[in-house]
Amino acid sequence: MSLLTLVHLTKQFGGLAAVNDCNLTIEAGEIHALIGPNGAGKTTLINQISGALRPTRGQILFDGHNITHLPQHQRVRLGLARTFQIINLFKSYTILENLELAVQARNGSSFRFWNPVRYEAHLREEAEQISELLGLTSRNHTVVAELSHGEQRQLEVGLALACKPKMLLLDEPMAGMGPEESEQMVELISNLRRSLSTASGNSAPKNPTLTILLVEHDMDAVFRLASRISVLVYGHVIASGLPEAIRANPDVHKAYLGDEGGRQR
Amino acid sequence: MQRNWLIPSALLGLLLVFPPIANSTGLEFYTGLVNKIMIFALAASSLNLILGYGGMVSFGHAAFFGIGAYTSAILTREGVTSAWVIWPTAIVICALLALLIGAICLRTRGVYFIMITLAFAQMIYFVVVSFKQYGGEDGLRARRPEFGLFELDDTTLYYLTLAVLVGTLYAMARLVNSRFGRVLQAIRENETRAAAIGYPIYHYQLVAFVIAGAVAGLAGLLMAHYTQYASPNLLAWQQSGHLMMMVILGGVGQFWGGVLGATVLLVVEEILQDITIYWQLGVGLILLLIVLFAPKGIAGLFWRRPQ
Repeated sequence: MSLLTLVHLTKQFGGLAAVNDCNLTIEAGEIHALIGPNGAGKTTLINQISGALRPTRGQILFDGHNITHLPQHQRVRLGLARTFQIINLFKSYTILENLELAVQARNGSSFRFWNPVRYEAHLREEAEQISELLGLTSRNHTVVAELSHGEQRQLEVGLALACKPKMLLLDEPMAGMGPEESEQMVELISNLRRSLSTASGNSAPKNPTLTILLVEHDMDAVFRLASRISVLVYGHVIASGLPEAIRANPDVHKAYLGDEGGRQR
Repeated sequence: MQRNWLIPSALLGLLLVFPPIANSTGLEFYTGLVNKIMIFALAASSLNLILGYGGMVSFGHAAFFGIGAYTSAILTREGVTSAWVIWPTAIVICALLALLIGAICLRTRGVYFIMITLAFAQMIYFVVVSFKQYGGEDGLRARRPEFGLFELDDTTLYYLTLAVLVGTLYAMARLVNSRFGRVLQAIRENETRAAAIGYPIYHYQLVAFVIAGAVAGLAGLLMAHYTQYASPNLLAWQQSGHLMMMVILGGVGQFWGGVLGATVLLVVEEILQDITIYWQLGVGLILLLIVLFAPKGIAGLFWRRPQ
């Protein structure tokens, strides 16, 4: 069953079509990697799916809803959460404060003006669980600005996870990471779905597996994680399929993996 | 927490016994000055809510302050004498006005937001000044309304202002620590991220803008009672700047920022005006020093993290 479908999606910036007639289907439960050279329109695509940008043309269908014109916060409520390529956190807040905010967003109305939010222990408890999942428990009370780059990246993913999404949009989660940190991130992502489905087993039984759309330049990570891969070139999907098929596809080699003997970046 | 409230409680005690002491020692003037300071503390605190906690740099806050005062003046002029009618009417009008202005202005960001809030305030200023039957540029006399329970003289007005200020500050303290307050501050901290985790930014900012407008209207209402007069100056852009100076001086996004800023600025102005006709130069210098050496304002010197 397809969870997300993009139909003829186009985003024009003046005369430039950053995303050009893009068709893409993402199945429920898969880790779908989206690769492509710099400037291929990957982040523009993520921005449109998450609702930060409005498409010029085309449609976005998610979980049976046409979300093309929905505001961002309603898409999050439907189960679509994202991370950012450039780290985008509440910098002067601690890890727990960051996570609590995300937990609060889907736990009842926040148009409450009187009772101190710090007395709502359930928000803190959930935030602590997510932090544990990320392996950041020992840093719970550290302000984001004092975290390492890798830890900030993990919290990026954590904030999206705290939205309890059906689908995660990961925009280059390994950007700027060393090999060791990348390794940790690969492990985190591959462990996510399992630990998440056990952690939230009682409260969200109808949401067993997490679907992930992964935009990433690290080819090692992509081929280790992805169940399917799509290749975006000049805003257009030129190939979509199983990793082996993509690896063998001559068009992909030409456009992206490079003619110089398939050098892996 | 307890320590944080120790000084304010002591101050409250002092404010409660101030009028009888001042009046018996022939210093009635200072009761009036303190009253005025409390009114501006209220107005500046309301601006601090959106400017400091919400990150919305509104340069048109005087619009609500002035309209609060004018509503009171116009209603008494039209023969309405009961405060029980005038007060709710003024507050509701200011809230609605803030809803309208905020709904439009909050579609913009940064410098555009500053300019468009200023533009709305200027529009209101010129509309009010053009009503000749309501005094035009001369302003309008505003008799004090009747509460029925007590006579509104200088002393009762003082205590009424004190009660409103304390009540509003308490509500604000609750608000900034509530769910809503937390989201409002998170939006100031990082708007795109707040949107990405599912908060409808616009709605939160608009609600805060309306609350601030209503409170500023309340302060304007008290100002009209205090001077028994609604002046176009209350609506002018200089007044918006004055309130902004108070917030910056006191501490942007610091709970006591509005109160401290209003107090220090008005007292300094009062002192300097006695000494020299170039008092504005002195005020400017003090503001400059604060901005350079204490960017979190006077309150920032006492409290390290905003409460």
